[in-house]
Parts: sequence; C-alpha cells; structure tokens
Amino acid sequence: MRVELLEKIEGEAFLDMECERGRIQNIYVRFPHYRGIEEILRSRPALDALVINPRICGICGHAHLIATAMVLEKVSGIVPTQKAKKIREITRFCEIVQNHLKWFYLVIFVQLGLPFDMDRVQRIIREINKLLAIFGGQWPHSSYALPGGVTCDPTQLEILQASHIAQSLQREFGLLFGDFDIKNLQKDLKKLFDKLNRLDVLHLGKGYDRFIVFGSDGYVQNAKLLHGKIRPARLEYVKEQEQPKSFAKRVTYKGKFYETGPLARTMIRGGTFVKRLHRRYKDSLTTRIFARIYEAAQLLQNIKNNLSTLDLSQESAIEASLQDGKASIAIEAARGSLIHTVEIENQRIKNYSIVTPTQWNLSNGSKDNLSLIQKALVGAPCTHTDLIFRTFDICSVCTTH
Amino acid sequence: MKPKILWLQGVTCNGNSHSFFNLPNFKTLYDQFEWLYHPILPSKLSLDELFDAKPEILVLEGGLKNGWQKGQEEVVALFLKLASRAKRVVAVGSCAVYGGVFREYEKSISGVLFQGEQKSRWYEALKAKTINIPGCPAHPEWIAFGLSAAQPHLDSYHRPKEIFAYTVHSGCSRNEYFEWKVDAEGFGTKEGCLYYKQGCQAPYTHGSCNKILWNEINSKTRAGTPCFGCTEPQFPKKELFKTKTYMGIPATMPLGVPKRAYLTLTGVAKSFRIERLTQRLIDES
Amino acid sequence: MAKEVKERRKHQIMEAALKLFSKEGFFEVTMADLAKELGMSVGNLYNYFTSKEALAKELILYISKILGEEIRRINLLSISAKEKIYKIVDFYFHTAKERPELIEYFLRIYLAHREVFKHGCEGMICVGPFVTEIMIFFEEGVRSGELRDQDFFSAFGLFMGYLGGMVFLMGERMLPNEIEYYIEDIAQNIYRALKSEA
Repeated sequence: MRVELLEKIEGEAFLDMECERGRIQNIYVRFPHYRGIEEILRSRPALDALVINPRICGICGHAHLIATAMVLEKVSGIVPTQKAKKIREITRFCEIVQNHLKWFYLVIFVQLGLPFDMDRVQRIIREINKLLAIFGGQWPHSSYALPGGVTCDPTQLEILQASHIAQSLQREFGLLFGDFDIKNLQKDLKKLFDKLNRLDVLHLGKGYDRFIVFGSDGYVQNAKLLHGKIRPARLEYVKEQEQPKSFAKRVTYKGKFYETGPLARTMIRGGTFVKRLHRRYKDSLTTRIFARIYEAAQLLQNIKNNLSTLDLSQESAIEASLQDGKASIAIEAARGSLIHTVEIENQRIKNYSIVTPTQWNLSNGSKDNLSLIQKALVGAPCTHTDLIFRTFDICSVCTTH
Repeated sequence: MKPKILWLQGVTCNGNSHSFFNLPNFKTLYDQFEWLYHPILPSKLSLDELFDAKPEILVLEGGLKNGWQKGQEEVVALFLKLASRAKRVVAVGSCAVYGGVFREYEKSISGVLFQGEQKSRWYEALKAKTINIPGCPAHPEWIAFGLSAAQPHLDSYHRPKEIFAYTVHSGCSRNEYFEWKVDAEGFGTKEGCLYYKQGCQAPYTHGSCNKILWNEINSKTRAGTPCFGCTEPQFPKKELFKTKTYMGIPATMPLGVPKRAYLTLTGVAKSFRIERLTQRLIDES
Repeated sequence: MAKEVKERRKHQIMEAALKLFSKEGFFEVTMADLAKELGMSVGNLYNYFTSKEALAKELILYISKILGEEIRRINLLSISAKEKIYKIVDFYFHTAKERPELIEYFLRIYLAHREVFKHGCEGMICVGPFVTEIMIFFEEGVRSGELRDQDFFSAFGLFMGYLGGMVFLMGERMLPNEIEYYIEDIAQNIYRALKSEA
C-alpha cells in the first residue's frame, strides 16, 4: 500500500493505492479537509445562504448560488419569471464553460505536457467571466440570484454587449478546436488525441457506462441512462453515507454508483460527435475528455439562444415571501449534478445539506461493489493514475464543504 | 533574475486563485515572476517539495488552522517556515487576512496578521513584511498590486490605501438615489439605493470595487446586489440582505459621517420628491 | 459691528413677531402692525424680511433651533432614555408655559397653515434641527435596547402629538391643574408606550 497525494484538483486528495506488476489492484480516495459550511449555515437567516454557499467553491460557486436560490424558492412555492430563469441559465452556463476550458488546458494539457497559448486561453476565460458579470455583477462569488429572481435588471445595451462576447467566443472556440468532427479532428483536439494515442491510453478509465443527470434546463433534461435505456432520475433514491478516514460522503442511487457530469449529459442529450466516440471508446477517458470540451461549445450556443429570447419586459425579481418547510433540488454544475436540501424553520436555516458532483464520481465502494473511480482505475497501469483521475475533473473544495 | 513566488493555500475555497486568473494582461504579470508553486497554474514544485523552497514573495490564500494538512506538512508550520525566508508576505483574500468565512465554523482559524479584528500571534513577527489584500475574493488588480507594488501606503489593517482608502460606495451607479435618499423598493430594479433596506454595506466598506469594476464591467451594487462588506474583518455578518435599523435609521453610518450630520442631510433630501428619481429609468412595458 | 447690530435688531423683530402672531393670528397681523409694535418704519422692516412669508419661515427655523439645541443638550447627557423622556417633557412644558409663543407658533401657525410654508419649508426642512435631535434620541434609545424598534413616525407621533395635545388643552384653559402637575405621569406614559418588551 502506498499513499499518493493528488494536488491541483481545487484542493487535494490522498490516494491509498495498491500497485502490483504495474497495475492498480485497489484504490481508496481520502479527502482530508472539512470546512463546516453546513454548520455555518445552521440558524442563519435563510437568505444568508446566498452569500455563504458560493464560498463553498472558487470555481463552481455560482452553481451553488443558483442551487441555493432554487431550493429556497421550492420551499416557498415561488416561481420566478422566464426572464430570471434564462438569465440564471446564462450565468450558470458561463461558469461551466470557463471551468471546462480551465480544466482542458490547465489540468489536462499540463498533465500531458502539451504546449498551449496561455495568453489566449486566459483571455477567452476572462471574456466568459465578463459575460457572466454583466448579469451577476462579478465572478467569482456573485450573490445576484435570490428567491424570486435575479437582482440585475439588464437593458438592451447589456444584452448586446453579452451577445457580442458570446459571438466572439464562438469564433475563438473555432480557432482552438475546429469543427468537432470525429473523423477529422483539428487543432488542439487533434493535438490531444494524438498524444493520448501515443501514450496508448485511449481505452483507459472506463466506468460502468451508467449515467445520471438530476437537473433539467435548456441544455439537458433529467434522466438516468442504463443499458441504453433512459428513465427519470429521482432524488428520493439518492443515498449518502459516511466513509472512513475521509470527510467526503459516499453517494449512490438505489445502491449503485453512477457517473455524473459532462459525459453523462452529452450521452443523455445524444448527438453524433459524442455518440461516435462512445461507440469506439465507450466511457473511457477519451470520451470523457472530449465530451467536456464539446459541451463547452454547445453551451455557448445555449447562451446565445437565451440572450436572443430574453423578454426584458418581464420582472427580474418577483416579490417573494419565504415560508418554512423542507425541499430538495438538483441543478447541473460544471462537474455534474449538484443537490441542495434545506429545512427552514422560523425563516431560519435548520438544516442544509449538499451533495456535490465529485461525490458521485469519486466515492469509494467495496470489493464486490466498486465505485465509479475504482472501476475506472482498477487494472489500469499505475503510471496513469493521475491522468485517469483528472479526466473526472475533481473538485476537492466542493466535496469537502 | 525573476523574483521567486510561491502561492500557498490554507483553509480556502480557491476563490482568490480563480479571481487572480481574471486579471487583464495576466500573462505580462505572470511572466514577471518565477512561479515555484500555484494551486491552479503550471509551477515548478510539487506540494511536498515546498518545505525547502526559498520564495522571495510568499502569497497566502486561505486561513491558517492548526493541524490543517498540506500534503505531508501541517499548514501553519509550512507557512511560518516559508514566511521566515520570504522578503514579502502577501495575504490574499479575507481568509488569509482575518481568518474569513470559515471562522464562523472554527474560531481558531486566523489570518496572517489578524484574527478577526484582533492582532494575531504572528503580528509582531510578520508585520514589517506583510501586505494585506482582503476581499472575498480579492479583486485581480488588487492581487497584482499586492505582488508588485514597491511601497504601498498601508492602513491600520495593513491594506494598501491605493485600494482601500476608497469605499465601495464611491463610483456606484446608484449614487443619485443615495444622495436623495430614494430607497430601492425591492430587488431586481435598476433604480434605488440598497443602503436603507436591502442591507448594502458599500458606504462603510473599504475597497475600490466601483472605481475599477469587477471583470472590467460591473459590480455587485451596479447589478442590484447589496455589498456584503467582504473586505472587512466582520465579514460575514448575519442578516445580509436586510439593513439593520434603529427606528428606521441605519445602524451603521457611511464611513466617517457623524449621525447628526447624516440625519440633518437626510431630512433635507427627503423633504424633496425628485420626480425623475421616483420613476423607472426605462419603461419596458 | 454694523452686522452685529443688524443681527440683534433682527432677533428683536422675530421675538416681537412671534408674540404678535401667536396672540392675534398670522393673517390678522400685517407687516405694518408689526412695524408699529417695534416703533420702526415699514420700509425699514422690509430691509430685514422681504415678505411676511419669508419672516414666517425664518421664525419656524428659529424655533426649531431653540428646541433642537435643548434636546441636543439632553441627548448628550449620559442618562437612560427614560430619564431623557422626563427631561424632554419637562423642558417642553416649561417652554410652553414660559415662552408660549414658541410652541403656539409651531402648533397654531406652522402646522395649521402649511400653504404659507409650501415653498422653502418643504417636508422637514424648517423643523430639521428639532426633528434630527428627536431622531437621535429614538435611535440611541433603540440601539441601547431600552426602547422598542418601530417606524420612526409611529413613535414620533406618539411623543409629539401627546405633548402638543396637552399644550393645546393648556392654551384653551381646559386643564384643571398647572401643566407641571402632569409632567411625571406623562413622561411615564410615554416611556411605557415606547419601551422595549424585553
């Protein structure tokens, strides 16, 4: 047994590994930290969660904000306008896009030792965050969504600014990735594919080929995909359990481990690019990596669509009075489904609990029921542990909220 | 020879690392240093090699908590070892400056020079070399200034006055509503000031948010979100979307303004109804 | 020196105007009557005040400053809100008795003839110095936990309406006792109405 430190995963994790004849025999993931977010929220006025929760995570805090606003709305039966919902989608999608780009270059390209134009990539990411900030005020750590809608009230001028950014980003994407044609990969996609091919890792990192998406939005609909069959994914079947030696909890659906995130979403949405990849490489690291960057390009289109269909005459925020009660909601964050559950009593938070995407993908299972990450790693060459891990785009800080 | 820089994290959400990556002309600044370690950017060393590193500039992001593991090391010991070698320590973000949001769970968490409003146990040892850049997160331009500024003018919390002598209120696009005491009727409008009811702390929070703007384009208050006072040691207070008042009078006055002066001016301003400021700026319907 | 003389003369005019207005009524008294009372020419009186309305506005500001300064003095004392209420009531009633023209002018002219003060005395402008000190009294009382938090005007109306009503009854000679007789009870009533439940 040896212990490896996995770093630069929005924090760190420890891997207890057994390696024999160059192959991984067994692996156990430990997250060493806990920051007490759920304790911090306890007994605070409900709306304070809109400020505390984004601080769960510096890279996907915006998803936590939107989830918080939505779960508080569900408790009180508040339904915001289409305008507010679309604006929230725009900003949440922006966060996902910037995340995927950062991960693609700062994690995957760096891990593989591939060169890239840092200046350019940083500029694109800055522009996406700027688009988000037109509505959200700032990124990271905006608190612009609240029960009833959003605090901003954009004019046509802001919509035009945002649309121009979205258009130029699509052009930049074209220059970086080409056409997403599996038969004719171009530019950085080709660079990456060739490298994976040279390393002979294209087929590594396969999981159970089981996917789950709890959120529903303009991009993807709630579904569970198992043996080619699509069924609704229901929150009541989600189970969280403590794990020894780690501050992260194990998450299962009807006792089974599922993959969540961009690969799950693109599989459930369909589309030729990812389907063809999947036909050839199944749910390997190759499909997982390409699905994520493909998703970023798709989301840019969703952002543009939302911008062009916003009805500015609707209210940005409707009057909302908070009720006591309990509710759960799920939304799609960069790394997959994010579940927030809250219990409000006397306008204050009695309990708050959060299940993060990384918990789905990085739980630990047992010998006869391997978790997703264990399934993806056991039997793989020990030398590629890091790479396989990183294709799941891990968020340590979220997981150890 | 480029100065060697090492970016260490304590108890954090990574928000400052990501905020920093929003810096305009990022590459220009990035290339001015030799990066020994950064939590999201390519850098020379791995976490377990940091104990022997010799950085000239040490950045701390996140609070210091005893027993908090950084790889094989304990973060406080690692920080102190590196700080003793560094010429400059830059505490980036309110967690590194005061202990920050996670102190709400664990009071023992401390910033470099301050633990909440109190001086920390390292204050005397490190005060001469430490620059504090609070904010949750800190603005990328503030971080860049903290790394590069030759001799910033520091206030009593060791924050550069070039940034923190301003209040978040200065430059807010809702200033007219503040001047004439027209409060926002709710959230989600372009009109009205958020100081009277919605909890905005901008008039007494230090920071140049509305002077230089976030992501080069906007700010919380411009987007209709109250300022939560995230650059101050009291962050995060409770009841963040509601102004604390005593008989309708805001409990905290704009920075440096005596209550009597404020109320006198308020009485005068409120006596007039400025037609333009009571209407919607754009009638969408 | 000349300026000081002028200020003193202005002061005399205002004191005389207050007495005359509150005795005879604002509309009944002309600038000529006032000039006669002061033994000066009408032309000279207009050197001090360009119109009767201008004089009326200066008078309310003048009263507001006198009352405001006294309440400020009370506000600055390190005593409880309960004791401050007693002192404010005491001061108000004594003023009503010893200088009835100040309170009369406020109640019978300023509040009764708002049209005269429409321009230049909008809202709280001409009573600002007085209202500001009452606000500070309330704010500090709530901050210390002694008084109950509520809307300013609901508290202001209770306090000032009560005092005004008593002075009105006194003016109409409807009170069986001297006004000092009521200070203790009224201060206590106000305190009980405003104090926090805790």
